[in-house]
Amino acid sequence: MENAIVKLRGYKDGLHLIIKPKVSLKEVEEAIHELINGMNQPLEGTSVHIDMSTTPLTSADLMELETHLTEKYNLNVSGVNLIDDNEESPIIAAPAVHIIPHCLPTDNQQDYGHAEIVRQTIRSGQTTSSLTGSIIIYGDVNPGGEVVASGDIIVLGTLRGNAHAGANGRLSSVIMAMELVPLQLQIGSYVNRPPIGQKPRGYPEIARIGAENIIIVEEFIKF
Amino acid sequence: MGKVIVITSGKGGVGKTTSTANLGTALAMIGKTVVIIDADVGLRNLDVVMGLESRVVFTSMDVIEKRCDLDKALVKDRRVEDLMLLAASQRNRKDDIKPEQMFDICERLREEYDFILVDSPAGIEQGFHNAAAGAEEAIIITTPDVSAIRDADRIIGLLQNQNIDPISLILNRLSPTLVKKGNMISKNDVLDILNIDLLGVVPEDEGVIASTNRGVPLVHNEQSPGAEAYMRIARRMTGQRVPIPEMREDNFFSNILNWFSRK
Repeated sequence: MENAIVKLRGYKDGLHLIIKPKVSLKEVEEAIHELINGMNQPLEGTSVHIDMSTTPLTSADLMELETHLTEKYNLNVSGVNLIDDNEESPIIAAPAVHIIPHCLPTDNQQDYGHAEIVRQTIRSGQTTSSLTGSIIIYGDVNPGGEVVASGDIIVLGTLRGNAHAGANGRLSSVIMAMELVPLQLQIGSYVNRPPIGQKPRGYPEIARIGAENIIIVEEFIKF
Repeated sequence: MGKVIVITSGKGGVGKTTSTANLGTALAMIGKTVVIIDADVGLRNLDVVMGLESRVVFTSMDVIEKRCDLDKALVKDRRVEDLMLLAASQRNRKDDIKPEQMFDICERLREEYDFILVDSPAGIEQGFHNAAAGAEEAIIITTPDVSAIRDADRIIGLLQNQNIDPISLILNRLSPTLVKKGNMISKNDVLDILNIDLLGVVPEDEGVIASTNRGVPLVHNEQSPGAEAYMRIARRMTGQRVPIPEMREDNFFSNILNWFSRK
């Protein structure tokens, strides 16, 4: 069983469907079929978390897999963990990625060079947004506070709340903060949250969309 | 001209009423003239904490509806000179009072008194807006809990929108022992998030419960660490420079706690 293409494991946060790296979507689907048919108990209606490698499955494959699991086996995919098997990769925060459908029109080629400067801390319950460019904040964004920009978000303080860059669909947008310990990050229609209990690292960090459409967070050195 | 200060927190149960009662009493003991206003219409309890329950005849509602003069509605404290209480009506609801009416009462009181402390209800609705209406300054009370800090942060944002300045912080119920064990958020972490001036730190003190139930504010008991903290805060409010002592493990208060936990 150790070498099986897919494994089902129960962890603290629920069932995890673990997919072996370097297999094709077709193999995965066959293996899932075998696994689920060979089980004594029905799985219908339960939630599973997918743990998979970043290669070679693409996000399109992932979406297809989700649809497959939902339609064929009536399983509810509660989240996806992408495990990176390449150690040199810049992924620091193990991302829990939830792909949500585009809710806003796609990039309409606005001038993202325009930036709005906010000279205050964004506190719980406060929202600051700019749908015509980027936002620079001279202060913190506290838990419960929210920043939304169609361009980039730069926080010259600690980002502890939510930030949504590229809100019109511009996926090249970035989120940067002197200390990046957000509740949630969103770039375009991709959402990511850091692992629970993450401590500030003590250096500036930048979040952007990397390969496979995952939001990656790395030490900020230059844009 | 006196100062009107709203004492608020967002979250309930963090010590707004206790702090209002103690700071009001402490300021009066220093020799200031003080009015404490209960703005928690419909759920009043500042009179109970002050032990003045039986003396309340008129409330702020009676003043607003012109059933009595403002002077007549002020209840004199039993123990300290120059400390007055303006109680809230228990029969009415928070939206029966308008912010302008509260503002009017505060404006009239500040002509005669040095400090007007307004005890705000929990929440961010009408009651909070009424309490803040006449205030030029605010004191935020929070405990070192994530939920209380989150609500305090929300309240600070709302007060800043109303141009209330300065807004200062009292960190209530801090236990140095628990902080040291890593089980409580430290003073510096709270300040890091809220980013406002610290007016004082009040240690966790069991004496508060007894004093509340007896209707005698803690500051009357000079031995208690909580009373000392409130006295220091009151002095700071009058413009004196009183340093905030670093609470260490080996102070009187935690020695007692240690002594208990060793047993």
